[in-house]
Amino acid sequence: MDHLTLFFEAAFIQNLALTFFLGMCMFLAVSKRMDTALGFGLAVFVVQTVTVPVNHLIHQHLLRSGALAWAGLSEVDLSFLGLITYVGVIAAMVQVMEMVLERYAPALARSFGIFLPLLTVNCAILGGSLFMVQRDYSFSQSVVYGAGSGFGWAIAIALLAGVRERLKYADPPAGLRGLGLTFIVVGLISLAFMAFPGIRTG
Amino acid sequence: MKTGLRSQLQRLVSRRTGRTTLDKQHDQADTGSGPLHYRPAEFTDRAPHVRDAFNFSRWMWLLTAALVPALFVGLYNTGYQVGEALRSLGTDATLLGHGSLLASIGLSAESPGVLGSAVVGLVYFVPVYLVALLIGGGWEHLFAVMRGRNRVEGVALTTLLFALSLPPTVPLWQVAVGMSFGVVLGKEVFGGTGKTFLNPALVGLVFLYFAYPDTMRNSSVWVPVAGWADGALLDRMASGGIEALEASGITWLDSFFGWTPGAFGDRSAAACVVGAVLLVSMRVVSWRILAGGVLGLAVAAVAFGSFASGLVPLADLAWYWHVTLGSFAFGLVFFATDPVTAPLTDAGRWIYGMLIGAMTVIIRAANATHSDGVMLAILLGNVSAPLIDHFVVRANVRRRARRHG
Repeated sequence: MDHLTLFFEAAFIQNLALTFFLGMCMFLAVSKRMDTALGFGLAVFVVQTVTVPVNHLIHQHLLRSGALAWAGLSEVDLSFLGLITYVGVIAAMVQVMEMVLERYAPALARSFGIFLPLLTVNCAILGGSLFMVQRDYSFSQSVVYGAGSGFGWAIAIALLAGVRERLKYADPPAGLRGLGLTFIVVGLISLAFMAFPGIRTG
Repeated sequence: MKTGLRSQLQRLVSRRTGRTTLDKQHDQADTGSGPLHYRPAEFTDRAPHVRDAFNFSRWMWLLTAALVPALFVGLYNTGYQVGEALRSLGTDATLLGHGSLLASIGLSAESPGVLGSAVVGLVYFVPVYLVALLIGGGWEHLFAVMRGRNRVEGVALTTLLFALSLPPTVPLWQVAVGMSFGVVLGKEVFGGTGKTFLNPALVGLVFLYFAYPDTMRNSSVWVPVAGWADGALLDRMASGGIEALEASGITWLDSFFGWTPGAFGDRSAAACVVGAVLLVSMRVVSWRILAGGVLGLAVAAVAFGSFASGLVPLADLAWYWHVTLGSFAFGLVFFATDPVTAPLTDAGRWIYGMLIGAMTVIIRAANATHSDGVMLAILLGNVSAPLIDHFVVRANVRRRARRHG
């Protein structure tokens, strides 16, 4: 598959947030302000672009059935360790990211609060790695897929933040104020994203 | 604060007199007599105290007036298409619905003439519009009553736009479902007209489009005659390209004036141009969105023609064809320009228009699942409008900071 096509598909047609509804907790929690949302989208993009290829290498050369043939252990199948390893890689990556942000952008790090460490258990990021394994991407494809899906998630949270900022002056019924209305907004945005599936990218 | 001293006092007073202190004073101030009371001849009852003749109500009625050409042409065309279909299918073709009504008023649907065609169109359109108006207006009224808000005229325009975009064969219960979805989830939950981020009529249409594809995008829905299944022009081109149209003798002018099968009111680009001239000259809609839309459409059509020529049937279609096809003109003039859901910055309006135009061509040419992507493109534009505004404003702030820095 063409890499540009894969990027477009990962970002728009199979948008992690709006098509698979992955990573919803942070998608809803960090989208109140545009600046925070853009920063967080960037964080997800970077983490995703790094962790998917790294997990790809680990999967291909350590965990996959028969992957340890280079060490003379061709019968060993460590793929049951997949989930915990991917989470470990993501946690390490997020830790590095947190330190970098606290050093160079302390204001942004503060505005993320608890959600930056929680990126470790963000289902969008773990989902990216699991999709990569399931679809059997090559290394270069995993780089493109990681970047594309992270970019798509960042676009989605930026769109949501824009709408939520505009809805600051909305006047919803009392029971819908806050998260209730945001759920409806996410549903409507994902309705708009239904324009993409079916676009012939090849 | 409900527990504050002041509100305690107020509660006490109101319990004794049945009125709050402020209520009593309001009565005094409103009688408007005595030397201390001056009241101008014209006054506004609520803030903000704008004294422009061009108030919200007039704005809405002007938009409705701009729809009148599209409405008339659409009504005539609906009847005209019925006659064409009946003649071409021969004697055993029957009308879907309203056949006995037309027979009882002595109107031959097969060759109705100009006025008769409009009557046939009216017979099909009025039930659809009435259902949309009753359901949409009903929700507006219900929310206004329950929440203690004013009803606004916006809902009349919403229902008209919604009804004009539906195919003539649409079942009335689906009209009710779509209008309910559009008005409640597209508008009322956000607090009513002006407080939402998506055009409510558009939300209802897109909901119907995905929920009931059989009645919204089948090739047989556009003319209410049993056995007719030629499809709208875009359906015919999706398989055969422009040659399929030329074979059936349809010219660009036919498509421009709207003598082709389609939804009630969205077929005539000419009628939309008339509406657009009125709206732009009254500065009700932004010409930047219209120009951006046509520009984006043209650029995307030329790009498809030069890079994807021959890959997809619609790639080679000229941009002036694209403008007249599907609901592009109607959608761009009446849906995309909605000031509530469009960007608020001028540069943003250009970008937004171009996004809609380009997405329209992309969906038409490259997306086999949708033959006409205008409504989806506009919905996507609506969703992106706040983000576009954000970046335009930020770029502006940065430029000025550099200039005056």
